[in-house]
Amino acid sequence: MTEYLIRRILQSVLVLFLVSIITFVLIHAAPGGPTQVFLSPGLSQEAAQIQAKNLGLDQPIPVQYMRWMGSLLQGDLGHTFKNNLPVGEILWPTMQNTLILMSVAWLFSLLIAIPWGIYNSTVEYGLSDQTASFISYLGFAMPTFWFGILLQELFALELDLLPLSDMYTMGKEGQIGDLFMHLILPVTVLTLGFLASYVKFSRSSMLEVLNQDYIRTARSKGMKEKRVIYRHALRNAMIPIVTILGSDLAILVSGAAITENVFNWPGMGRLFVEMALAREYSVLMAITLITAVIVIIGNLLADILYALIDPRVQLARKGGASA
Amino acid sequence: MSVTKLQRKRHKPTPGSEPKLEPPVERLSDKPIGIWKTAFKKFMSNPFAVVGLVVLLFFIIIALFARVIAPFDPAAIDLINANLPAGSEKHLFGTDELGRDVLSRLIYSSQVSLLVGFSVAIITVVIGSLIGAVSGYFGGWIDTFFMRLVDVMYSVPTLFLNILVLSIFGSKFSYMIFIMASTSWMGTARLVRGNFLQLREMQYVEAAKAIGVSSWGIIGRHLLRNTTAPIIVSATLMVGGAILAESALSYLGLGVQAPETSWGLMLSSAQEFMLVDPLQAIYPGLCILIVVLAVNFIGDGIRDAFDPSKKVRIPRRRLQEWRKNFSKSGI
Repeated sequence: MTEYLIRRILQSVLVLFLVSIITFVLIHAAPGGPTQVFLSPGLSQEAAQIQAKNLGLDQPIPVQYMRWMGSLLQGDLGHTFKNNLPVGEILWPTMQNTLILMSVAWLFSLLIAIPWGIYNSTVEYGLSDQTASFISYLGFAMPTFWFGILLQELFALELDLLPLSDMYTMGKEGQIGDLFMHLILPVTVLTLGFLASYVKFSRSSMLEVLNQDYIRTARSKGMKEKRVIYRHALRNAMIPIVTILGSDLAILVSGAAITENVFNWPGMGRLFVEMALAREYSVLMAITLITAVIVIIGNLLADILYALIDPRVQLARKGGASA
Repeated sequence: MSVTKLQRKRHKPTPGSEPKLEPPVERLSDKPIGIWKTAFKKFMSNPFAVVGLVVLLFFIIIALFARVIAPFDPAAIDLINANLPAGSEKHLFGTDELGRDVLSRLIYSSQVSLLVGFSVAIITVVIGSLIGAVSGYFGGWIDTFFMRLVDVMYSVPTLFLNILVLSIFGSKFSYMIFIMASTSWMGTARLVRGNFLQLREMQYVEAAKAIGVSSWGIIGRHLLRNTTAPIIVSATLMVGGAILAESALSYLGLGVQAPETSWGLMLSSAQEFMLVDPLQAIYPGLCILIVVLAVNFIGDGIRDAFDPSKKVRIPRRRLQEWRKNFSKSGI
């Protein structure tokens, strides 16, 4: 276990390192890349050269990368070109906002999806199962932002029940009740997306268990169906479910980019789009790296959880859990 | 037609050997049917898949003949007739905030969506299959390299990656297709690699090696050909994903740009003007939903068609005929 952990962590560090190199090179080597964007427009050739020197842009790319990495390791994410704001200060509050939105939506949809999927596995092709499969078709084919816009038109404009967008009403910052009202619509949009995959997934992982021999044994020795389901099947079906939750952890920071834009939610996804349109590369790089870190930690957690819950899994075998 | 007649017609029994009576169902299918023909039959017997195909063909025809069908130039601005409601004379679906005809814009947008959907899917599949094939067949450091690359690509959310690269290189239409393809090949690569790992242990591969077929010959002629079905399925499902991704990027302002038109772009301006004309938000989204649903139905249909555990549905009338003959044959 320890050996496996060490190897996985080293692997993850390598992947992170590669992500940082690729993003850095992509951004700095691009035609019309930072050297043009970073510099203030309308400078004379000489002045531009001086400014490039001040920003360290005249150095070869590997040197620039080492410098950037060095300050990153000291916790300095860099500054924006416009207004020279520290990236960290912009980033952390938006990350919190995203976490609020996503954790509510995620927990809410899990509370619905897992019991629903498990129930559906016991009544295959019943009305409830058909409804779930209809929802999942819809969830996979419907553009999330369109669903968001429709909800806004119906509940905010037509019926005037809920706020149209943003996180708080002006002047009510920090009030939980106001936040709750603002959460309802975006959470609904996100929930549809989550339900589409989670209901199906928990249903199929439960069905797989129900086809096992030990379930037949349990049934044939006269055990009550309820006990078979809850005692024998459910516990085994939870294994893949818990694993996928670990690897989906990354969604908590990145999954809401489009929804945040629809509802003007001041989160990381909206910041990313805004900064991409403004070509603020230091912010983009920071967000890219942070999401990569979280994705990798999530996958690592999923693997470890898998081994902890299921004693049959031996992590020593390479890649056994990451299928 | 009686059973015995049928049988005599097919294989003439050599004199002396008794014509053996077999269950007719067996005999009717004893002519080998290719995997493609079976798959096609299964596909056509799936109503969802057929409806999907019809709908997709409808949109393809609209896209191909957009110039003929569209009543107006989609970019023609007519400020006097701005924000006309749906059902107006001349403008069936009304006009947008700049007086552009919504119907024409919807029609021209289908070109963008389908072009992006299909070209991204094709390029993705080519890149993904190549990488998957090479790493699955050769293994070793090539495999390690590409699979680490897959890990790296997977560790940044695809949407973020697309946005990042589009912001660097600019939102040209051709760039967009290549960028979207180069950020979504990983799934296909893993799929093909997994299949290759299994297939390369097969005896026919060993036999091909023994008679001196080159590696690329084996990859192309034996392994890829046996992976066609899952590749086609993943390509089809990717078309829908690419259409959704394009609409999202255009909605965010990083995809198709202003004089051009796209369903995603239409939605973003519809949201801005939803107080004036809330109905404008409905049509483009509905188009995306219908096209993607159609493509996904087709994809599911193809997947089931190649799945041997899913049987062909035999029409009831023919089944009854067989049963009758079966009982007549006296077995």
